[in-house]
Amino acid sequence: MQTSVTPDAISAVLSNPSFDSSSDRPDIVVQVVDLKPIGNRYTFSANDGKTKVKAMFTASLTPEIISGNIQNLGLIRLLDFTVNDISSKSTKYFLVNKCEAVAPALDSEIDLESKSEEEGGEFKRQKLEHSPVNDVKTDVSTGITLKPKQEFVAKSASQIISEQRGNAAPAARMAMTRRVHPLVSLNPYQGSWTIKVRVTNKGPMRNYRNARGEGCVFNVELTDEEGTQIQATMFNDAARKFYDRFQLGKVYFISRGSLKLANKQFKTVQNDYEMTLNENSEVEEASNEEMFVPETKFNFVPIEELGLYVNQKELIDLIGVVQSVSPTISIRRRTDNEMIPKRDITLADESKKTVVVSLWNDLATGIGQELLDMADKSPVIAIKSLKVGDFQGVSLSTISRSNVVINPESPEAKKLKSWYDSEGKETSMSSIGSGMSPSAKNGAWSMYTDRVLLSHITSNPSLGEEKPAFFSTRGYISFIKPDQTMWYQACKTCNKKVTEAIDAGYWCEGCQKKDEECSLRYIMVVKVSDSTGEAWFSSFNDEAEKIIGCSADELNKLRSEGGEVNEFQTKLKEATWSSHIFRISVTQNEYNGEKRQRVTVKGVAPVDFAAETRLLLQDISKKSK
Amino acid sequence: MDTSSPSAFVNGALLRRYIGQKVRTVVQVIGSDMGSVVGKSTDDLQIFVKGSPPASTTTYLEVIGIAESENSIRAETWTNFGISFDALNYNELCKLANGEFKHLFI
Ligand SMILES: [Zn+2]
Repeated sequence: MQTSVTPDAISAVLSNPSFDSSSDRPDIVVQVVDLKPIGNRYTFSANDGKTKVKAMFTASLTPEIISGNIQNLGLIRLLDFTVNDISSKSTKYFLVNKCEAVAPALDSEIDLESKSEEEGGEFKRQKLEHSPVNDVKTDVSTGITLKPKQEFVAKSASQIISEQRGNAAPAARMAMTRRVHPLVSLNPYQGSWTIKVRVTNKGPMRNYRNARGEGCVFNVELTDEEGTQIQATMFNDAARKFYDRFQLGKVYFISRGSLKLANKQFKTVQNDYEMTLNENSEVEEASNEEMFVPETKFNFVPIEELGLYVNQKELIDLIGVVQSVSPTISIRRRTDNEMIPKRDITLADESKKTVVVSLWNDLATGIGQELLDMADKSPVIAIKSLKVGDFQGVSLSTISRSNVVINPESPEAKKLKSWYDSEGKETSMSSIGSGMSPSAKNGAWSMYTDRVLLSHITSNPSLGEEKPAFFSTRGYISFIKPDQTMWYQACKTCNKKVTEAIDAGYWCEGCQKKDEECSLRYIMVVKVSDSTGEAWFSSFNDEAEKIIGCSADELNKLRSEGGEVNEFQTKLKEATWSSHIFRISVTQNEYNGEKRQRVTVKGVAPVDFAAETRLLLQDISKKSK
Repeated sequence: MDTSSPSAFVNGALLRRYIGQKVRTVVQVIGSDMGSVVGKSTDDLQIFVKGSPPASTTTYLEVIGIAESENSIRAETWTNFGISFDALNYNELCKLANGEFKHLFI
């Protein structure tokens, strides 16, 4: 990589008005200084270490600047440019049509003038004599106003190159005191910077193959003192060089990276830009630095609110007390048949709800094993970046960049731990998913996904024709027909329907045995209404129990009691005009040779008014967009 | 429904729009004494509520009264709203009731 400019190139060009883009013109390398956007293009000053001239990139080069290929304080080779007059003044400017980036941003503006004065002017002369510009078949010396030619002292080319490398830019760099830039201030147009960041996430090394060949790549998520984050990517040599150096949680000084606009599709942190580090980038561990860089920034969602995030693109952070840790199992990945280790852990929080988090890959075998070993101590763990799925109602999965912290030093963790120690461990908890669905196999779901109004179902008679359609809806029980067959006699072992045996007791076809007793299980229809319509819902035992508020056996007892104040009627009245959230399936059934829509209740949950309000607020904000 | 004396839903920031008029808001009680309550509004601003607060207050408190300044209300009606209240939702309600959907509110 070239590390310096072509000395005196600018004065050589300026002194020769007839200079054109002829083929015998040598390459000119200049430093980009004062890069600024003007409209859709960029102006800068071209610096050859002694002379600066105003310059402008044509608009076709704008993407090169935005992508970070051309950087302020970086070096570029001018391949095609013209020298123009600034009409109002007697000065000239370069219009650059074509150029290539030679080096990313240096730490400072190159100033060969002051350097050479320190060194007695000798060094500067040699570079002048050996620079390619001198091969130009023009009278170079006339353009050089500052240099008398007589100081020439011969040196070998290699000596000169080593002096250029050793002295020019790096010397200037060392002289500068290190100023740490906040991450938020970085942009592709800015030249030299040094950042001080903590590695808050580190991805695995991946191999890739594309049209240009194969290679390897990995990325890290960096966080600075202010909590700003950026993703940095390294390819091939840079990836190999820095993979071991970057360690999760450690703090580094980094400079000489390039920035470009982040690809929104793959964006993982809140930053408009992303960083690429090449093998010349500098990454230095800040081991002796007393400093504060925040640990991973979390934005925790309470377990009871997870329903709102089911099957959304948004990733969530979670904190919870570990209740149980499973052994690892291997799952065959459908896309490539590879076996992936997985481990399930159950977490609880102050909402008295639990949720299962599936740890995948290294998290299952590494930190998962650690958790298994300490599960009896009920550690608190915080997890960054989880996907919320609908398996078993609500379930969470790690993705490749998820991050697990055991017993984090945070106020949230302390609060949770003290809640758990004082009351949580004695409290009975329920799974966030199970409160909603007794069986996961018939439509894994959440109360907050596929939300529809009743009119959506009643106005679409063909719903469920191909396969059952699943929805959730909020509605009131508006009518329970008291004289319907509300229950059946069921086997106490398998819940199947039993028949009364001839002598006594009940015969179960399923179990092939007789029992003295049976239990009643609901099978009933209820009318449900909302602001858009009404529909009959079929409901089985567990859901009907929640709707009626007692078991079928209890309701049967009330009915048989009769009496003046009919408790049975009262019970049904109480159940009417109360609202619930229903998970339902819609299917088509043949009935007397006619197809009819059948709505079956798959789950019932009480209305969480705060969560419902949030859902409505979401709808309002969607509508107003 | 009595519409003779409407009270506008406000959060801390909206209070200034109604100085001298009747407002209603919910605050989280920070401190109280005989003649006043210091509360935190749903948008995290401090509000002084003057008048005669109930002998005991819950975490959340609804007050209806006249906005005296951009951060104080002289309350006529005090209602304990319990310990569990979704401040975020209430805050959004206040914003909608004073913005896009103002026409739906008296
Ligand atoms: Zn049986």
